[in-house]
Amino acid sequence: MVYRWLRGKRSTGTSGGHEAAHLIDIRQAVKRYESAAGSFTALNGVNLQIDPGDFVAVIGRSGSGKSTLLNIVAGIDRPTSGEVIVGDTAVHLLPERHIAPWRGRTIGVIFQFFQLLPTLTAIENVMLPMDFCHMFTPGERRGRGMRLLEQVDLAEHAHKLPTALSGGQQQRVAIARALANDPPILLADEPTGNLDSRTAEAVFRLFTELVDTGKTIVMVTHDADLADEVGRAVILGDGEVVDDAVNHRPPPVGGG
Amino acid sequence: MIRPRWRKVLRDLWSNKTRTFLVVLSISVGIFAVGTIADTRVMLSRDLSADYAGIRPSSAILFTAPFDDGLVRSLRQMDGVREAEARFTVVLPLKTGPDEWRNLRLEAIDDYDDIRLDKVRPEMGPWPPSVREVLVERASLQLTDANVGDMLTIKLPDGRERALRVAGLTHDLNKVPASFSGTPYGYITFDTLEWLGYPRAFNVLHVLADGDATDEQHVRSVLEQVQRKVEQQGATVRWMWVPEPDTFAADDVLRPMIIVLGVLAFLSLFLGGFLVINTVSALLMQQVRQIGMMKSIGARNGQIMRLYLGMVLVFGLLALFIAIPISSLVAYGVTRYLAGLINFDFAGFRIPLQVLALEIAVGLLVPLAAALYPIASGVRVTVRRALDFYGISGEQFGHSFVDRLLQRIRGRLPRPLLLSLRNTFRRKARLVLTLATLALGGAVFIAVFSVRASLIDTLRQFTAHVNYDVSVNFDGAYGAQLIERKAMYVPGVVAAESWGTSNARRVRPDGSEGSSFELTAPPAGTNMLQPMMVEGHWLGPDDKQAIVLDTDVLKNEPDIRVGDEIVLKTERQETTWRVAGIAQTTLSATFIRIGTGYVNFADLAHAIRSPEPNGRLRIETTQHDAAFQSSVATALQDRYESSGIRTTSITTTSATREAIRYQFNILTVFLSIVATLLGIVGALSLMGTMSMNVHERAREVGVMRAIGASDGTVLKTVVVEGVCIGVLSWPVGALLALPISEVLTTTVGDEFTGAPLTYIFSLSGALFWLVFVVILSALASFLPAWGATRLSVREVLSYE
Repeated sequence: MVYRWLRGKRSTGTSGGHEAAHLIDIRQAVKRYESAAGSFTALNGVNLQIDPGDFVAVIGRSGSGKSTLLNIVAGIDRPTSGEVIVGDTAVHLLPERHIAPWRGRTIGVIFQFFQLLPTLTAIENVMLPMDFCHMFTPGERRGRGMRLLEQVDLAEHAHKLPTALSGGQQQRVAIARALANDPPILLADEPTGNLDSRTAEAVFRLFTELVDTGKTIVMVTHDADLADEVGRAVILGDGEVVDDAVNHRPPPVGGG
Repeated sequence: MIRPRWRKVLRDLWSNKTRTFLVVLSISVGIFAVGTIADTRVMLSRDLSADYAGIRPSSAILFTAPFDDGLVRSLRQMDGVREAEARFTVVLPLKTGPDEWRNLRLEAIDDYDDIRLDKVRPEMGPWPPSVREVLVERASLQLTDANVGDMLTIKLPDGRERALRVAGLTHDLNKVPASFSGTPYGYITFDTLEWLGYPRAFNVLHVLADGDATDEQHVRSVLEQVQRKVEQQGATVRWMWVPEPDTFAADDVLRPMIIVLGVLAFLSLFLGGFLVINTVSALLMQQVRQIGMMKSIGARNGQIMRLYLGMVLVFGLLALFIAIPISSLVAYGVTRYLAGLINFDFAGFRIPLQVLALEIAVGLLVPLAAALYPIASGVRVTVRRALDFYGISGEQFGHSFVDRLLQRIRGRLPRPLLLSLRNTFRRKARLVLTLATLALGGAVFIAVFSVRASLIDTLRQFTAHVNYDVSVNFDGAYGAQLIERKAMYVPGVVAAESWGTSNARRVRPDGSEGSSFELTAPPAGTNMLQPMMVEGHWLGPDDKQAIVLDTDVLKNEPDIRVGDEIVLKTERQETTWRVAGIAQTTLSATFIRIGTGYVNFADLAHAIRSPEPNGRLRIETTQHDAAFQSSVATALQDRYESSGIRTTSITTTSATREAIRYQFNILTVFLSIVATLLGIVGALSLMGTMSMNVHERAREVGVMRAIGASDGTVLKTVVVEGVCIGVLSWPVGALLALPISEVLTTTVGDEFTGAPLTYIFSLSGALFWLVFVVILSALASFLPAWGATRLSVREVLSYE
């Protein structure tokens, strides 16, 4: 219902102030990098609105600005100009000290190379964001971590160190970690880029299941076939949105 | 034109300024410590030797009963005697306040323009002083509470007061520095001496033996002949001081002090090398791909090795630039301070060439030696392996026993803390070197505390076995009963004991005579002295003709054993004594230790054939603080004066203890400075390690921040890791401190106090080091931790 209501709202095209008209609202975002080699524009006036429950694939060539787009949404980077509104938060204005805890609660980040902390076991990696952001009571964290690992079919590997897990397993742990604080948004940067096709398929299936539960996923990918399978594909080229196609995908289960 | 490969070296140095700074600083501390100690030693020994040779030191000084000029003339004619000179010396109370008196040692010199031995040199004012004038030794002026031109009030043995004008200053290198003895020295003419009421006679004889001054046997035989001749002329030799040839008395203390400090300084340099090993290993690990690339385009192992050794050489050179000027300045300051303390003329600032050479050698060689192994093994990597190298190897967690142990710690600990704890053990070789640096630094730190505690306890024992508060020396024998009775009238006096004193020399079985030592004769069964016995037993009332020797006497007569019968020559009488025991030597405020033998009062009286041997009164007071002891001393002085009893000196035990404490403090301050330097090297090493860890784990920090870790969390994670290393180093350091403390305490005891100290392992020092190392570790890891919070998440995650 909420999903439909928000989609309906998007169709009105209004978004006054920082109200949550869209879950993610990027307005005229420009990101320019200055270096000794000169100025490089990674994003050039990008406008993009994403609503709750969207599964968006961002595709484009290398250097097209895909990762920069994810970074400004996650508050990892700030736009040179323009606005980035996530929920009711103006991320581009968020003071530096507030960004990390906000990100921890609002956004789950999934990386291409999994980026699990090598000295922590799978379950400990999953519990880490809860510790950082003081989510759930300390007593609840382990149980929640185990449930998340069960969700990604890795409960039996909970006490293994990352080095004892395969790439696919590590990525699933990374997804469980991204879900730890129950964030509404998951940002995934080439999540299947380092996996074989079967494992990539499994991870993708997990993403679709998460979208079906109401999560919003923005996924950067090179894989055009994968992009076809998500609800919406945003194509970036030279820092600009060159195409924003809504794919006809079955509505989420229970989505009415 | 710099070749590209050397450009790479310079840019590598410049690109990580923090790393370069830490390594350079760490090496600098070592060079600084070594340079300062070496520089101080060279300047000290040169200036001191030159200054000391300039006074024409005598072979021996004999303190005798009064004699006349004829003896001096005949000694000068004697075979084996190159020179002889006589003076008269007396100790008199000097008024330093309304009711305050201090001993002043006055020395009468016959001809100021013809001082032949142990020369006293003019420093300021007339030369010689006029009648009723005194020249004060420059280093002791402040003890007189007067300035040049002021009047000094002295009290004569008969109670009359006389005023002497301070006409100027002298420099007498041969006296125990006033800062140690607490006694000011004054120089007068014989006319002034006569005006004070003393006869025109001598009681001190300075003798220089002919021939090789370092030939101890020859010098001894000459001195024995001199002694015989003096005594044949009727002047009893009370004691004879034979200094080590060509060596300034204070050098006995300075030399071992410099050696101990030097060893610690080299240790700090050595530990600085550990950071070089860690840094170079980390650098090579980071540059494995670069090494592979260089090899793929034709570089040979030797060329790459030279490249990295060149980098280490630059570390050393930079460290030398920092350390040489600072160490020279500090050495100058230290030498100046020591010059003032032991009263010699310091020739001024200079950088001795051999010290410069030493600094350059150690500054370049130690880092190179440290880096050689990591570089040699690092550049051996094959091109294929180097180019295939992905990420950082050797850091895989989970394989070792420790890792598995740490993996079991789960559940109760929060994940950030778990992360810090496990991160601590990720780079084990680096951890070991860092721990070793911190642990050795800590061990020395605790050892210095132990030395301090041992010194304090030895001082406490000194107080414990010396149960008297005031000592009075008399100018002649007045009868024990009389002086004791007079003392008991003084308010605050609980007990008074008259002790006999004399001097003795051992007559060895081969007929030769040993050095003079003091004979102290308390009444049998005294409670005022309880020496610490090393062997045998203390004198009991039933011990007849028994003697207890202290360890200083044993140093000169090492063949003596408990139970032996020895022959002593006292006041021309030879008597046989049974050695009942060996006692620990008591602490002394001066460098000069002549040794003491303890006998019962009655036995001494019998030995010197005098029912009332020259005495020293020991007094116990109702209160034992310095002020009370001092007030009783003044009251005693007045009491004896009014009774016509002449005293030569009155000293309080508190004053002696304070003088000893002052010397101990100097020693512990120097040791503490070097220990602190070691602590700094440890902290720099930890800081370097943490910087490397953060640098290598930048991506992990990025991930942590990406999943919600705040600046504070990142900071805490890194600082806790540093503190973990610090805390881990503590038990190792405390364990290492056990043997180091014992060795250092024994060395300090043997070399500085002439006797082993009561060894105490300082638990408070160990606890203090724990607190200190936690703070130090937190501070040392704060900078790298802060650096970690500054890492941009985007940058650290972008280079996949």
